[in-house]
Order: sequence, then C-alpha cells, then structure tokens
Amino acid sequence: MSGRDSWPEVPGVYFDGQVSRDHPATLHLGPDGARLRLPGRADHHWRAADVTVDPALPGVRRALSFPDGSRFETTDHAAVRDWESRQGRNRLLGGVARLEASWGAALGAVAVTGALLWGFVTFGLPVLARQAAAVTPQGVLATFDREALTVLEQQELVGPSRLSAARQAELQAAFRDVSAWAGGGYGYRLLLRDGEPAGSSGLGANAFALPNGTVVMTDQLVELGRSDRELIGVLAHEAGHVTQRHGLASVYQALGLGLIVTALTGDVVSASTFAAAVPVALVQGGYSRAAETQSDRIAARYLLERYGTTRPLQTILARLESAQGGAGGLPDLLNTHPGTDARIEHLRRLEDAAR
Amino acid sequence: MSDPVSLSKDRPAAVPDSGTPLGRHAAAPATGPDTGSGTGPDTGSGTGPSAGTHAADGPQAAPVVTAYPVSFTGSAGEYFRLWIVNSALTVVTLGLYLPWARVRNRQYFYGHTWVDGHNFEYRADPRRLLRSYLLVGALFLAYVLTSESESLGWVSGLIALLFLGLYPWLVAQSMRFQAVNTVHRGLRFHFDGRVQDAYVAYGAANVAAAVSGGLALPWAWFMQRRYQLNNLRYGSARGLFRGDVAPMYLIALVGVGLLVGAGLLLAIPAGVALVAWMASQGFELDSLNWNSAGLLGVLFVVVAYVILLAMNGVAWQYVRAATMRYVLNNAELGGVVRTGATFNPWQVVWITVSNGVAQVLTLGLATPWADIRRNRYLLEGVTVRAIVPLDEFAGRQGGPESALGEAATELLDIGLGF
Repeated sequence: MSGRDSWPEVPGVYFDGQVSRDHPATLHLGPDGARLRLPGRADHHWRAADVTVDPALPGVRRALSFPDGSRFETTDHAAVRDWESRQGRNRLLGGVARLEASWGAALGAVAVTGALLWGFVTFGLPVLARQAAAVTPQGVLATFDREALTVLEQQELVGPSRLSAARQAELQAAFRDVSAWAGGGYGYRLLLRDGEPAGSSGLGANAFALPNGTVVMTDQLVELGRSDRELIGVLAHEAGHVTQRHGLASVYQALGLGLIVTALTGDVVSASTFAAAVPVALVQGGYSRAAETQSDRIAARYLLERYGTTRPLQTILARLESAQGGAGGLPDLLNTHPGTDARIEHLRRLEDAAR
Repeated sequence: MSDPVSLSKDRPAAVPDSGTPLGRHAAAPATGPDTGSGTGPDTGSGTGPSAGTHAADGPQAAPVVTAYPVSFTGSAGEYFRLWIVNSALTVVTLGLYLPWARVRNRQYFYGHTWVDGHNFEYRADPRRLLRSYLLVGALFLAYVLTSESESLGWVSGLIALLFLGLYPWLVAQSMRFQAVNTVHRGLRFHFDGRVQDAYVAYGAANVAAAVSGGLALPWAWFMQRRYQLNNLRYGSARGLFRGDVAPMYLIALVGVGLLVGAGLLLAIPAGVALVAWMASQGFELDSLNWNSAGLLGVLFVVVAYVILLAMNGVAWQYVRAATMRYVLNNAELGGVVRTGATFNPWQVVWITVSNGVAQVLTLGLATPWADIRRNRYLLEGVTVRAIVPLDEFAGRQGGPESALGEAATELLDIGLGF
C-alpha cells in the first residue's frame, strides 16, 4: 500500500491517553498531517505540526504522540521513517539510528572512540592543562607547595639538610639571583634538604620545583655538582618550571586523566582518591619532555647571560644520568624522562646559536 | 478537536488483548490461574478494581488471576551497536551528547521490556538533562578542584554540605523525574511522594543507620522502598508496598554472614599456616626470623584486603538482589496488580561478578553485553499478576500531566549512586 508517491496507511494500536486500553487502529500519514481511523468511530485528524514522532530505536516500535496525550504505536518502521523524512523530522537522531543499525559504523565507532580518547589524553589534555595553569590565580598555588612538602616529609623522602650553614648561604644567594632574574611574582624560596633521610629510599640526588616557586634541592645533588655554576644551571632550570607553570599543568593533567577514568568507569571513588594523590603525582610524576626542553631553554638563557656558556648544565645532566645507573629507590626527577643526550645536544645548539 | 475518540466503555471485558498485532509479543498472554512464585494464592485477596480503574462489566464474582510474564527482547549485538555509536558521539562532541546517549540507552531497555504485548517507553527530554548535567558537572569539578586547596577548601565543604542537605530532596526529584518519564500503554507513571517524607526516609533513616553503626540500616532500606512504592502511581492506580522490616534484617544478616564467613575462611588457614610455620621454627621465639615474618605479614594483609574487598562487593550485590526480589514480591498496584520475582539472588551475584570480570578483560567493550545479560535474567524472572485485564487502568484525574508536573521534574536524574 505504500507506493512511492502515495502517503502510507499504517496499521498499529492507539491509546487515548486516558485509559490503558489499546485500540487497533490505522493511521493515514499525509502531507498535511495524520488521520486516525478507529473501527466504529469517526476519523480524527491532526495537523502535522501537532504530531510528535519519537526518534527510532532498534527493535522498538515507533510511537507518534498527539497534543491531547493520545498516541499511536506501530511496527511499520519504513512508513514512519518515510513520513518523518518527508516532514524533515528527527534528522539527527534518525541519522544516529542508521548508524546504530550498521556493524561497520559500530566498528568505526570503536576505532573513533579509542583513537579520540588516546589523542585527547596525549595531545588535548596537555594543551588544556597548560591553558588552565596559565589562568589559575596565583593565590591557589601556595597551597600546592605546602601540601606537596607535607607529603614529602611525612613519607620521609626528605629530611633536614646536612650542609654547612656557609654552603647553604652561598646557594641561597645564587638562587636569589636566579629567581630575581626569572621574576613573575612567585613566592620563590630554595629549600635545601637531605634526600636520603631514611637510607636509600629517599629522593636521592634531585631537584624539583613546586608551582608557587618553592624549589627543593637535595644535599646529594649539591655533592654531585663539581662547581656552583652547575648547580646554578639546575636552579635556573627549576625557575623555568615555575614561570612556565609546568607543575600546575601536570597537576591539571593528572586531574583530567582522573576525570576521564571516572567518566569511563562511572566510579567516583577513584576520582576522589586520585585528587588526594595529586601532591604525590606532582612530586613523583615529573614533567613532559616538552616542559623539560622549555625549562632548559630558560636555564640556557640565564647561563649564557651570566657565563656565556651552557656547559655547566650539560655536564651535570650527564653526570646525573651516569650516577642514576646503579641507584635504587625513586627515579631521579631530572631524568624521569629519557633523552638526556637530546637535552645536552639541545643545550649545545643553544650555545652555538648564541655565538 | 479535543477528544478524537470517545472511550468505548461498553467494550466486552473478556476479549483478551485482541488489539496487538504488534511486536514479537503479539501472542495472547498466558492466561489461567497463577501457578507461580509461591507467595500463596492470590485469589480473593484483591477486592476488585480500585476506585481508579474502570470496573469491567464482565463477571465480578470470583476474580481470576492472570499471570503476565515480563519479557525482555533486547539483544547484545543490537545494543552494542547502539551503545558504541552513542559513546563515540559523546566523545566526538566532548560530552555534550551525553544526555542523548544516556536517554537512548535507557530507551532501548525500556522499549524492549514487554508486559502483555506492550512495551515500556522512556520519554526524558535530553535537552533538559543537558542543563542539569552541566550544573552537576560544574559543581563536581569545583568540588574536586577546591578540596585540595587550603584557602578555597571551604568551597568544597560548602558543596558537600549542600549535597548532603539536599540529598533527600534530590532523591524525591529524581524519582518524580523517572516516574513521569515512564510510559506504558499510553499512560504515564507518577511519583507524588512529599519532600518531608523523603527527609524521613532518606535523611533521618540514613543518619540513624550511621549513628547506630549499621544496626538501623535495614530499617532505612525498608523506609526507602516503602516511600518509593507507596508514592508511585500508574495512571490513577496507587502503588503499595506490603513488605515488612523483618525480612530486610534477614537479608542484611545473610550479607553480614557472608562477610564474617569470608573472614573466618581467611583467618583459619592463616592461623594454621602461622602455627605450622612457628612449629617449623621449633617455637623458639627468640630465634624467629622476624624480618621474613614481617614480609610474610605484609603479603598476607594485602591478599586479605583484596579478598575482603571482593567479598564486600559480593555481599553488597547479594543484598541488592535479594532486596529487589523481596520488594517485587510485595509490591501492589491499585489493589489489582501484584508483581512477583523468581530470580535467584545468588545467580544475580554470579552474573554481576562474571560481568565485571568480562568488562575489565575487554576494556569495557563487553559492557553492553553485560547489561543485556543482567537485565534479561532479572526481567525474565519477574511476573505481573492481575485480577483485572491490564487495559482497564485509568489515567490520572484531570487528564494528561500538566506542564507544572514536568517543570518540577526538570532538575535532574542524578546518578544517586554518588
């Protein structure tokens, strides 16, 4: 009965919306609306604009509802779809229903979902995190510093420094120069700490920057340095992390990852435990390679201005890597990411370019 | 123009659902005396159609109980395609499509649930949900971001307090929303529980459960199920929960027994192992190698913790399934319809556990299959028994639901699992 140009007669059931009784009925779907034919009753007509067609669902009969609360249900999917498309209804969800009907689309959806999730986590999230870090008011940063330090002390990863007061004063003076040069209005301070307060389980030879300008440098790293220039190079590198807000960005990135996991698994608990682990992630997670390169560039600028060379940072990076070889415990933060050779090469090129 | 078809009040009541040349369940319902689920004969317990139902003109002397099995026609393959396509669209739209995806998923389950030749329908408007989702999402984000900060910690505290304080109200709103968006045979469900009763059932009862160290928890479950069912309407027919508190305690006891049993099962081998190990050391405590004992202890605690966590999940699943079964076996509608459940709570536990394993192993891709499997088992163990034909329910007085009712439900359907 549904020729190409004739408007279809659709068999189905009618509910009047007042009672749960089902009435076998026929609905004539025409260009101007819908006409209901119920055995033993007068026909009733609704204008097309008054008819609501619910979007199609696989295997579920179609329902058309009318302003008075009554409705008509049918299994004649083709006829309803036809009328729907002629009336321009449910274009988007109709398209969704066509996708849902195809295994090819389903496979494509698996691929697209997987690829997008991967792409978002590896590319999109870092960009978003950097943006968020850039616009975060500075007042928020101080708490991150405080809480990260609390965690470090509670876990006995750092202890009071064993360096002499004179040596500490030298390094503090050097750091004042670096931080004055880096600027940005952060709460710069250098904390010299013992990286192995409880044996070899501590941070070892290490230096890292917290979001608000707290830079922690361990005695072990100070001992590893053969000249103050090397240590100043490291401090300048850390100051670069501060001004570029890398620490905050990595916190946001970890947070975003947690939210994605929550959205996927529907498990809120994991998100809150994740939030609690943020300071640890901050300290132990390290930064992306791009962040390291950026901070190296800033350190190189400082070294070139002061000493005309980037060699001190190159040599201490190389020594850190060879020192890390046999060390157990936590991985060295400066070297968390592979590619020390590339970093040294990068510093060398910066020096060449400055000549 | 307002009333297209006048109601046929003189239709013979005996015609069994003749008007359903539709769907896969066009077959006439399995009529006949109820032989099902062992809750005792129902014949005579109903006193005929309630005020809200149109009394049939047929014989009224001895009500005949008709059992209508609930069936579920969803298929894993079909639902997988729907699920993954909608998930992909959600990801592509950065989550903005989420309400549409959720509504379609739910519509699939409702649409494939059949009673007496007619399916259910879920009618929530995704555009409305989107607004609530954005609001809840923003609050949640603010909570997570500020909970780590000392200077802004009060914000997260405020949000948490707000959520706790409004929780019962949110529950009531959510139930209203779910009910009014559920349609069967052209009639909407409704939920008209009062907010103050929600504060008793979901506020006071939960506080009592917490204060009493869990002793009042089964009572809280009872209060909550009763609130849920007694305020449910289908058209003008009222829901009723005939259940009692005692069985809730029984269910909870089995759950606790499960936990205690698991603990003992764990403790006995551990004790035996410890004694055996000490014996092998000749009970010379001085010479015990405390270092290796410490390592053994840590390992044991870790293993025990994981097992207890798993057993906790199992016990909780059992409690949920058993409660659902009990509620279904004691639910009534309009004095003429009762539901009955024959599914086995232990089987539900097994299905849930194996589903979880499958979902983890497939990185979540088995989720649609798991949902279909669980839903099918549950629904196919449910029967609706009625002493009147199911097509004799009347809509709510005052005609179709006004916009007012819907506006009140606008807020949300929050996942109350929070």
